[in-house]
Order: sequence, then C-alpha cells, then structure tokens
Amino acid sequence: MNVATPFTTMTTSQTVDAPSTERILENLSHPVLALNAEGNIVYANSAAEASFGGWVIGLNIRDLFPGFAPASANVAEASSLVLVTKKDVAYDATLTPLGSAQFVLDLRLSTGPQQLTIVPDLDDLTGLAKRNMFMSHLTGAINRDDSASVAVHCLDLDRFKMVNDTLGHGIGDLLLKKVAERLTGACRKGDIVARLGGDEFVVLQHEVREPADAEKLAARIVDLVGRTYVLNGHTINIGVSVGVAMQGDFTQARDILRNGDLALYEAKRAGRGRYRVFEAGMDDLLHKRREMEIDLRRALALKQFELHYQPILDLSNDTVIGFEALLRWKHPVRGNVPPLDFIALAEENGLIVKIGEWVLRTACLEAASWSDGMIVAVNVSPLQFKADTLLETVASALEKSSLSAERLEIEITEGALLDDTDNVLQTLKALRELGVKISMDDFGTGYSSLSYLQKFPFSKIKIDRTFVASANADSEAILRAVAGLGTSLGMAITAEGVETAEQLARIRGERCTHVQGYLTGRPMAPEMISSFLARPKPHQ
Amino acid sequence: MTASLYRLVYYSRNHVSGDAAEFATHVDDILAKSRQNNRRDEITGALLFNAGCFAQVLEGPLEKIEATFERIQQDDRHGDVSLLALNSIAARSFPNWAMGFVGTSNGDAERFAGISASSGFDISRLSGDQIHTLLRDLTIEEEAVA
Repeated sequence: MNVATPFTTMTTSQTVDAPSTERILENLSHPVLALNAEGNIVYANSAAEASFGGWVIGLNIRDLFPGFAPASANVAEASSLVLVTKKDVAYDATLTPLGSAQFVLDLRLSTGPQQLTIVPDLDDLTGLAKRNMFMSHLTGAINRDDSASVAVHCLDLDRFKMVNDTLGHGIGDLLLKKVAERLTGACRKGDIVARLGGDEFVVLQHEVREPADAEKLAARIVDLVGRTYVLNGHTINIGVSVGVAMQGDFTQARDILRNGDLALYEAKRAGRGRYRVFEAGMDDLLHKRREMEIDLRRALALKQFELHYQPILDLSNDTVIGFEALLRWKHPVRGNVPPLDFIALAEENGLIVKIGEWVLRTACLEAASWSDGMIVAVNVSPLQFKADTLLETVASALEKSSLSAERLEIEITEGALLDDTDNVLQTLKALRELGVKISMDDFGTGYSSLSYLQKFPFSKIKIDRTFVASANADSEAILRAVAGLGTSLGMAITAEGVETAEQLARIRGERCTHVQGYLTGRPMAPEMISSFLARPKPHQ
Repeated sequence: MTASLYRLVYYSRNHVSGDAAEFATHVDDILAKSRQNNRRDEITGALLFNAGCFAQVLEGPLEKIEATFERIQQDDRHGDVSLLALNSIAARSFPNWAMGFVGTSNGDAERFAGISASSGFDISRLSGDQIHTLLRDLTIEEEAVA
C-alpha cells in the first residue's frame, strides 16, 4: 500500500512519462527524413533506413529520388509532391521547412495512382480479370515496397482445341469456366487469376518468399487442371503447361510476363503437362531459334537448299538402281546446316510442308534426267500427310517432270502412322494407285510395331543404321529377324549406313536386298551422278 | 418428373496422412459432409475406404453428380482420381447413402464397424454389378499397396 501511493502520484504527471520525440519518430512505420539546404540527408528514422537500404544519412536526397527538384526545397511553406525511387517505387511526400534552411520530408507509399489504374475489366465467360487489369495488378504489386516478391505463372491448356473441335464450343466454354474455378481454388486470396484469351491464363502469385513457393503453386496447378472433368455427361481430360517467372530485379510488368512466356515455351517443348521456371539463357535460346526460323523461312526463296543423292545398291547384281534424295541447307553464314538441326524446327512451324514440296518437285525433275529405270527415293515428313496436299503434290511433281510413277519411292517413318492412321493409310493407298512405291524408313528405332507392316503393303523396309554399325549378336539377330520378316511379307530390305567391307559382307549373308552407305557411295551433288554411274562397278 | 439418373464411379489414392486417430477423424468429417451434401443433392451411393484409398459410387441427377465430382477433384485429400464409370442407370443400386470400410485390416474393420452399421452398409450389394465388384477389388488392392 505504502509503496503504491507515490507511484500513483507520479503517473498522474503528464510530462514525466511521455516518450521522447526521437523514440516516436523511430517507431513511425513510414519514412521520415530531414534535409539541409543542399538536400543532404541529416536525419533518417528507422523506417527510412529500412525502406532505402540502410545507412542513408550523408547521402543526397537525389541519390534516393533522382527526380527530386532542388526548386521544391525553396518553398516557405509545406508542399506535397510525388517522389519515385530508382526502383520505381512511388511515394506521396510532404516537404515542410523547419527554418534555418532545413526541411523535414514525410514519406508515405503511394497508393493513389496505382489503385486508380485498376479498372475492373472482366472476362464475360469466366469472370476473371482480362489482360489490362492483370497488368495493372502486376505493376502495382511490383511497385509495392515490401520484402515479399511476386511470381507470374503463364498457362496454356494442352489439347483444348481438340475438346472444342470434337465436343463443340459449348462444352469448350464450360470447360474454360471449370478451369477458371480450379485455378481460383488453387490460389490464395489476393492472388490474381486472369484469362488473356482463348485457352491462355495467367496467375499473379503474391508473397513469394522463396522460389519453392512459386514451384509449389505451379505443381498444384498442373495437378489440379490436369484432373478429369465431367461436363454434361462427357469425360474430359486436358493438361496444362506452365511457365513461371519470379519478380527478381525486374521493375517492369512486361519483362516478368515475357520471362513467364519464355518458360512456358520451354514447358511445352519439354512435352507439355508440366511447369518450367524461367532461367537466364532461355531468352538467348529462343532468340537463336527465332533467328534460325527467320533464315529458314527465306531459305527456299533464296535457293539455299540443295539435294544430294546417295546411291542405292541392289545386292543381287551389285548395280546401282537409283538414289535417295537428301536435303542440304547451304547457309551463307552458318555454312552447311545438318538436317538434324533444322528439320525439327521446320516441322514445328509447318515450313516442312513447303520445303517437302520443293524436295519432291526437284527430285522428280532431277531423276527424269537419269538413265532409264533409275529410281529416286524421297523422304516425306508426317506433317506433309497432315497437310492433306501430299497426293496432289506428288501427282503434280510427276506430271511436271514426266517421271514415271514407278521410279518414285516415298519414304515414310513410323511417325506418319502414329496419329490419324486411317487418313494416312488412305493417302498411302492413293499414292500406290498412282504407281508410286512406299517404303518404311528408319525401321527399328521407333515403336517398330509389326502392326504397321501389316496395315500397309510397303514395297521396302529400311533397317536403321544402328543395327548395321554394331557387330554384336543382338544387332545381328534383329537385322536377321527384320530381313526374314520382310522377305516373307514380300518386301525388299535396305540396310542403311554401310561403311565397311566387313559390314557389307555381313549384310549379304542376312537376306538384305539393298544397301546404302559410304562404302557403296556417298551422297553427291546432282552433277556428279553421270560420272559416278559411268565408272566401273565398285565393291564386287 | 424426375431427371434421368446417372451413376459415377471413381476411386482415388488416399492423401490423408497422420496416425490412425487422425485418419478416423478425417473419415468422420468426410462422411458427415457427404451425408449432408448428398441428402440435399438427391445423391445416394456408396463410399468405400481403407488406409489406401477412397472409392465412391454416386447415383443421382447428372448435374448434381458432376458438381459433386468437381468438388472432389478440387479436394486436396484426394489424389490420382480415376474415373471408372459414368453412365445413365434405370434405378439406384444404393437407395440410401451407404458407407463402409472395405479392407483386410481387422483393427480398422473393428474401428469403423459403427459407421458401416449405422449407414446400413451391405457389402453384398457390391457384388451384384460388375463395376461394383471391380471397385471393391480395386479398393482392397490399394490398401495392400498403401
């Protein structure tokens, strides 16, 4: 009791217990700076140091805000201004003169302009934000000055077009709504899900403390969106590819979005139904591919393609019966670009159809000048079957060159028979009715399904070079088996990639009917063919 | 009057982790929610579960079944949901909502016996139809893997 009395008396005194001004300033949550006449910072509270990266006393105000105009410090009374840091963080500032040419600068994170730019702009179908609204949110999030960063997830649905094409747009729209619901469900409150159009979505993830946070959401999106849908009694399975970009040091929304798109591209290239996080170098890779694509697009017009011809040797009488046309790209800067480096790209962007057409026409014209009966074999990409113009192209190439159809051999790989088999088989039958021969190329490397051999009466099977090159028992067994199979199905058998006399001897023993390879003749320019045919028979 | 009846059958890997008591709580929770939602949605059916998986037969109007299935697809506790059947049916195989433990563990069977009894779960109903038999077999197989 006695002790309490003086204590109570003391607390009633208002002045004694008030915290120091310094302490109040230090505990303010927004930055406060004091400046001298030159604009040098002479005082900074803790919030200021935390916001501007530590020890700022002694720096000039223009070090923090490059746009700070000295004129604004000449006023006699308090003024409001907007200051922007080097990192594009905007502050609403009040500059108050303290007398003696000193000023106090009171700073609050600018919320006004960013809030104003976010006008609701919603997608009618899904109710999600549209592009502009998303960009505003992203810009706002980047400029918000807190330690947590944001991540952007760019999404593309896999196989959505198929759903639209087979089940109709009504179901397609329902599906998009369901996808939107699942995405929203996977995200936290405050995250922004937007539809950029078609089957493209994008997610803005807030409070990403570490990359693992973003990867976790990306994995969840891939899982969730990829789960089966049931719509109007239809069971629907689609997938989603996701490209993730972290905020990093970027201050521009479009840079982050671009990185997300680059990562999405990589996710799709890696086989879809997965996510990829942006890495430095992805843009470089894409840049190179884009350059290659630009070059490839004009290569035809600039006549940079050439065909070389590799002899095909009939083993029954050791005579050359024709040539396989092989595509060469002579680039003025890149030099000789191997087909492996550009065919895949040409297939990806559809250029292969035009290039393939050129190959067919050129090969037929060339072959028409060869001595009678010489055949020409031409490779045809699976994409050319899909283009639905192959039959027409072949017929027209034969007609224009006056090459008889029996002298043209079309080589296809198993890939052509993988999708849409019925259509492809119809085209193959129509080609055969023209009189063209069809052979199965690279047999042994892909699925090597025997059912393909049963589905269509190929005139020839070409055994892949790997089985010729290795002299082990397994390869030999496979070579023998395929050759036996071909013989009993009435198909000719070509062994590819024969390089040594030993290999040739081995193949002769295995019922192969034809060989191709460096030993029996390297690919040659068209003008070399006549002299090659005129020389004495090699490799008896 | 009544919209045509559909049946949807799925099973999913059990993502419920934790010890036996926690698992029991989860199962109780799922059952309580199912009972409530399904009465409202005119859905009947059967829920089978054990330590390895959930398997469910849902019977009712198509749109209600689709909505229920979508809820399940967005539920973290279900992973690898396999849709086994979706077809229209003439009559319900499970006129009431039945839930039961299907597994080989005696301990679990005892623990969940109350649930089966109160819901009128009758395992013999699962043998009448090919898909039901398949479902029961799959469920037991999943338990063995878990």
